[in-house]
Amino acid sequence: MSPEGKADRHTLVVDYELPAAPEKVWRALTESDLLSRWLMPNDMRAEVGHAFTFRLEPAPDPGNGWDGVVHCEVLEVEPGRRLRYTWRSDSTEAATRLDTVVTWTLKALDDGGTRLRLEQSGFRPENGRAYAGVEAGWRGWLAQRLREVVEGL
Amino acid sequence: MIDAAANENAVFRALADPTRRAVFERLAEGETTVGELTSRFDVSQPAISQHVAVLRRAGLVQERREGRYVHYRVKPAGLRPLMDWIEHYQAFWLDRLSRLKAVLEQLDGEEEGR
Repeated sequence: MSPEGKADRHTLVVDYELPAAPEKVWRALTESDLLSRWLMPNDMRAEVGHAFTFRLEPAPDPGNGWDGVVHCEVLEVEPGRRLRYTWRSDSTEAATRLDTVVTWTLKALDDGGTRLRLEQSGFRPENGRAYAGVEAGWRGWLAQRLREVVEGL
Repeated sequence: MIDAAANENAVFRALADPTRRAVFERLAEGETTVGELTSRFDVSQPAISQHVAVLRRAGLVQERREGRYVHYRVKPAGLRPLMDWIEHYQAFWLDRLSRLKAVLEQLDGEEEGR
């Protein structure tokens, strides 16, 4: 845990239902070649203490300040149920410098599918933006517009 | 390296003007020309050209030349400097999870084929 405490840290939670059994979803989360097909090229191994990286290809816009490499270390492996690893990125910009933990939780559904929950915890205030000095009206407009534009990318 | 803070300021300045924001919104609906924009807004053609130029310099708009016409449209990546990175990650994960779903479907096919 970070020494400055967690009070100002933000957690992102995404729930997603998948039409596949937890065993199969687990493979897609932990087998390096399967994982690279949907997330990013990596050298993951589901062993506690294993250090690995994800590399974004193509590399991100240099304006982000981030080099496209995510540094990870496996913290917890509970086959078919829970996987936790650190998710850190170095960047010249505070906004894209991350020191977070990713937790995947799998839950079997009655229809044979899986509810997959992603939690990414440890975002710092500077990873979000305050839109300082911007009047409320157009801040709302901007947030709405951004969402639409980004969804259409 | 691009100065992200300066870039962000340029984007904020470009969108702080209500007319320019309206022009940007119109461009977000689809590609158009300065002529079409002028007929839509109660502003002169040189003024519209000026607004489009500011949006272009801020990296918010791109152009495409076709004969003597220039068509303008929104450059979505231009808004990135203003993005909340937590929201950015949410969009990233949703995109990746939809890919995961596709990979799981392919896996079913591959294993039935064995």
